[in-house]
Amino acid sequence: MARSHDSALKERMWLWLQLSPVLLILAVLFGGALVLAVVQSLGFAPWFGVNTFPSFQYFGALWGSASFWQSLWLTLYYATVSTVIALAMGIALALALVRTFPGKHLYKYIYKLPLMIPYTVGIALAVIMLGNGGMISRLAAFFGLISDPSQFPQILKTHAGWGIIAVYVWKQVPFITLAIYAVMLGIGRETEEAAAILGANRWQILTQVTLPQIMPGIVSSTLICFAFNVGAFEAPFILGGGFPDTLPVVAWRYFNDADYTLQLQGMATVVSIALVAGVILFSYLAIYRRFERKIGRT
Amino acid sequence: MDYRPLATGATTKKRFFKRRKFNMHKLALGVSLAALLVAGAAQAEDPAATEFRESFLAGDLDWSAVTERAQAEGTVNLYYWGGSDPLNVWMDSVVAPAMSELGVTLNPVRITGTKDAVDLVLAELGSGKMVGEGSVDAIWLNGENFSTLKEQDALFGAFAPLLPNAKNIEWDESDPRSLLNLRDFGVTTGGAEVPWSGEQYVCALNSDRVSAEEVPHTFEEMQGYLEANPGKFIYVKPPHYIGNTFVQQAIYAHNPDGTGAEPFQQSLEELGTSELARLITPGLEYLKNLEPLLLGGDSGTPRYPEDQNALDGLFLNGEVNFNCKFGLYAVATGLSQGTYPEGAQEFVFPEGNMIKNKNYLAIPANAPNPAAALVLADYMTTVEAQISKLEFTGMPAGIDPWLLSEEDAAALAAASPGHTGLDASELDANIAPDTNATLVDVIEATWLEYIERDSTDSIETIVTRAAENLNQ
Repeated sequence: MARSHDSALKERMWLWLQLSPVLLILAVLFGGALVLAVVQSLGFAPWFGVNTFPSFQYFGALWGSASFWQSLWLTLYYATVSTVIALAMGIALALALVRTFPGKHLYKYIYKLPLMIPYTVGIALAVIMLGNGGMISRLAAFFGLISDPSQFPQILKTHAGWGIIAVYVWKQVPFITLAIYAVMLGIGRETEEAAAILGANRWQILTQVTLPQIMPGIVSSTLICFAFNVGAFEAPFILGGGFPDTLPVVAWRYFNDADYTLQLQGMATVVSIALVAGVILFSYLAIYRRFERKIGRT
Repeated sequence: MDYRPLATGATTKKRFFKRRKFNMHKLALGVSLAALLVAGAAQAEDPAATEFRESFLAGDLDWSAVTERAQAEGTVNLYYWGGSDPLNVWMDSVVAPAMSELGVTLNPVRITGTKDAVDLVLAELGSGKMVGEGSVDAIWLNGENFSTLKEQDALFGAFAPLLPNAKNIEWDESDPRSLLNLRDFGVTTGGAEVPWSGEQYVCALNSDRVSAEEVPHTFEEMQGYLEANPGKFIYVKPPHYIGNTFVQQAIYAHNPDGTGAEPFQQSLEELGTSELARLITPGLEYLKNLEPLLLGGDSGTPRYPEDQNALDGLFLNGEVNFNCKFGLYAVATGLSQGTYPEGAQEFVFPEGNMIKNKNYLAIPANAPNPAAALVLADYMTTVEAQISKLEFTGMPAGIDPWLLSEEDAAALAAASPGHTGLDASELDANIAPDTNATLVDVIEATWLEYIERDSTDSIETIVTRAAENLNQ
């Protein structure tokens, strides 16, 4: 008995030892930055000669302005719309990939291309293709459809954010597809075939068999994409419509303001982004766990 | 010019391949963290470097002693805005080898905004790193960034007149032409920075799209042109310095007393906030009324570009017919590099209010290699360096041609890329000085509040609030 207890203890020690490098990095880099951001947003910045710790004046000033709420709405709007569109496309693509069709092997490589291309390049592509002086606009001019760049419909630099959403979707569809496709391969097709034999139609199979089975893949991939979209800076900065900006861009503007004390407000913005994203992601996970319990998986 | 951040990603393709991009905010954060850790610890001090600084500034050192120490230090870290490819090429292919010959390795740190380097210096000073201990040896800057370092007492000292090549620069106050060497955005330089380059705010137009009789020369004419051709003009958005400068020119031109730039040479304390508010109101009203006529203005919010690269792109693509920025030789350079449309020409706008200034190299108080930084600053003010810089980048000389030998002055004149559409005398006839650095931030904050955020407060309220926030 004692020996088995000993070996269990050893086992656990070994486990923690294996986890420690990652935990250390997370604690120091991630935890340290988070703690620093929080204390600065509460007024601790002696290197600018500011030290009113702890005071909520920076959060107060931030949350008290109407433009903050507009920015928050824009941030969540871009993140949600692009995640939903990417998810719909990703599910469709994953469903197609488990079937056999001519050229499937080639297609399995092609759809992953955006995964390897950085966001910045995607943004550049959007500028080159979709801008008022871009390729499509020039083609339209070539064919005599428009005579001036201003006649081309404005896709980029608007608050509707189609340029931003296009870049997110283009980049995240393969990611979501990959996650769902991996889950599907793990499950196999037997349950779907069984449902078909028992007389379920296509729609019933999709909604009652396939979707519940791939839910873990859907949740994990959308969680990651949404979290990224909320905190992303470059796309809204370059392709967005200017004031009101999304929150990460607002934070950046505060950091670059001539008024040094606004850096603390920038930190308050960063902490607000973390708070909002954290609350949304945790509630999302909680809802998913309830769903899992309801259908009897734990 | 203070080199404020450009977009981290940019609208021109070439910017994506910039080497050694460097995220200073993360670094500054790290440094702040370090500051927290050593807060209360003894101040770091390099006695040899401190002694060197004191004896050099007192004039007790021969230049040979400086070069000797520079070779012992071995490297110099120059922090500068890396958004100009020709300048980066020049640094790597001309300055680096020249510095190697002097026994110093040039380490060019290209940053997206000069403010990052200023932040780093202040953070390191805050953590007690004094001369010989920091990480920034020299910064290319002017205007607000210099003013910030000066206010925070973060400068090495009055080194500029002590350089051997200081003879190429006019220091004599009795000569009015010395003003740009002695005052930077109205702030006295005190020799703590050395002039490196000159600039004038020049607008270009696309002559394929704007006929000769349509060319606007005043703000009123520009408004008339835009009423006939809506959406064909835009200026870079403040707080970028290119945008701030445009706003300042509009304010000069609409000065209610008709005294142009004159009152804006005073500091904020001298002028007072209510007087400043009164003087800038007509200019800001003009810009606000112009908004619906600007690019994208018909949709409610104009599509202000974030930086000059974005504006260059709009100009090249024919989305706007004008391109206003600091660029005495911008048209010649832009045509040779293909970044300007073929019909690009310079024109006089706004009449009598084309801001001319210089930009400088400053050495921070905690330069790790102070002697190497002095050697670099001295090299940059040589006639050869100035000529090759002008050839490579189209950046006008920072040294003063009337002090050079005839031969050198002729070589400098021959190196300039020249003008298209007008000649140098027309540019010289429309010069205006910069706005005092203490006013720039207030005017910028007022533009952001009144025009971008459509604040309903009166301009006086906004100016007062901005001045209070900035002087905390």
